[in-house]
Amino acid sequence: MSEPILRTEALTKRFDGVVATDDVSISVPRGELRCIIGPNGAGKSTLFALLCGIQRPDAGRVLLKGEDVTRLLAFQRVRRGIGLTFQTNRAFHRLSVRQNLSAVLQISRADRPADADERYRFALDRFGLDAESEMPAKELPHHRLQWLEIAMVLAAGPDIVLLDEPTAGMSIDETLQTGAVLKHLNASGLTIVVVEHDVAFVRDVAQRITVVHQGRVFAEGTVDEITEHADVRRIYLGQA
Amino acid sequence: MPRLLSLLSGPEDVGRSRWFWAAFVAVCIVLFVSPLWQSEFEATNNAYYLLNVPTALGLALLWGYCGILSFGQVAYFGIAGYVYGIVAGNMVGDSAGPIVGSLCGLAVCAIVSAIFGYFVFYGRVQNWIVPILTLVLSLLLETFLGQTAGYQWRVGTVQLGGYNGMTGIPAFQIGSYVITGYSFFYFVLIIVLVIYLALRLLVNSRHGKVMLAIREDAIRTELLGYDIRARQLVVFVIAAILAGVSGLLYVQWGNYITPSQVGLLQASLPVIWVAVGGRESLLAVLLSTCALNWLNYTLSSEGYQYALIIIGALLVVVMLFFPSGIVVTLAREVPKHGWRALLGWGDGAGK
Repeated sequence: MSEPILRTEALTKRFDGVVATDDVSISVPRGELRCIIGPNGAGKSTLFALLCGIQRPDAGRVLLKGEDVTRLLAFQRVRRGIGLTFQTNRAFHRLSVRQNLSAVLQISRADRPADADERYRFALDRFGLDAESEMPAKELPHHRLQWLEIAMVLAAGPDIVLLDEPTAGMSIDETLQTGAVLKHLNASGLTIVVVEHDVAFVRDVAQRITVVHQGRVFAEGTVDEITEHADVRRIYLGQA
Repeated sequence: MPRLLSLLSGPEDVGRSRWFWAAFVAVCIVLFVSPLWQSEFEATNNAYYLLNVPTALGLALLWGYCGILSFGQVAYFGIAGYVYGIVAGNMVGDSAGPIVGSLCGLAVCAIVSAIFGYFVFYGRVQNWIVPILTLVLSLLLETFLGQTAGYQWRVGTVQLGGYNGMTGIPAFQIGSYVITGYSFFYFVLIIVLVIYLALRLLVNSRHGKVMLAIREDAIRTELLGYDIRARQLVVFVIAAILAGVSGLLYVQWGNYITPSQVGLLQASLPVIWVAVGGRESLLAVLLSTCALNWLNYTLSSEGYQYALIIIGALLVVVMLFFPSGIVVTLAREVPKHGWRALLGWGDGAGK
């Protein structure tokens, strides 16, 4: 079995004594579309922050394509092929769509995916974004702003993208459209890890699900396994 | 060449149309022939209005384009001025003195700003801490220079002079030709134009777009693959060197410099020049810096005691009614809505 593209070993992060991420060890194989679910405050966003280097762990390691990147800064990890969108949209709202997309570093590295540009153009096309538009990003409808941030991340040519609640605030149609684009990108070889609350969306896109609870990995499995998991159903899916 | 022209007229500064460039060339021509009807005294005064422009453009780059407010640009102004005074003053009689002094002044600015900036940006100091730190550097420099009155505070043959300042600083010269009067006006004008056009190229370049991204959201920009610390440091050093250029021109213009040039009052002026015109436009900053220096100089020279109070009041009014700056607001809103709507006359039917 090949080396997982992303792996953590006993990752732990505390804030003023509160354990946000507690001994988390996960492994994401190359080409997988993984969803991470869990209630608010479970530590999902902190886990993403640790994976992309915004936060430093108190203990544990992060391995990207087999390389220990725990000590690397965020931009160094991005240059090694990781991309992230935030829970709260952080496209550059005051800048135009053109400025947003042209601000992305076209990372030149030996292992940049051959079809990175194709994925980016596909996303622009399917999201209906004009890369030359002078419209300020803040004037875009909410869902297009979310899509713009995803397109910005894809422009950098990542091997793996971490999307923190990409469909938050979207209508059902917009959510379906987002899911369709993500599934296509994943089918082309892009590894995707998504934090989501929308169970229908998760069922639609996920190949495997990790359930996080109180900072720890509570359960992990295929969609069917998690759906049938009694404790997960009781606690997270609202079923008796 | 076409790429250079396209960059020069790129979207990151106001003034891109052919009409703008025609007007720009016309104004340049008028400025170049203005000594025909101006006395040497007037030309020297005009040079004074222009010599602060590099400081202001540097601050516009740093604050308006990269989101880093500095209250300490005058520190680099002073460092360049004093270093030039010391080096050129010790080389009096040597025609290379002013050139060597200028290069040393700029080099020390670059080194000090690089060391200071390294600790600030690589230490991840952000937001409102940065302007405070930069101001502290300026005030420290003022305090230090203020106590250099004794005879022991001399470097070679040059006295630092304490609060009386350093006097008798040599004018700039190339070979045996001393640049003063009309020629100094041309000297400053050419430097200002070259810096303005070079910065227009910079802000419209790929690096300029990254600066805008850092201004908007530094963390997001880092997560697009950029080492924002290095980028911020480079812009910080460029802005310091530009402030140093102003410092050099100032001492070459007036042949003296005092610690008050790096004091609190002077530290606040570049922020006012930049804010009044509009910090997100180089052209706006160029215009407002010339206009406010003219206003300040004219009011002061006519015995008006309250020149700086008027300048300060202008800042308050501009911040209240034109938070993006006067020139930037006019450049953005007039083409969209017309003058009448902007002034609150009529219903803006001009659009």
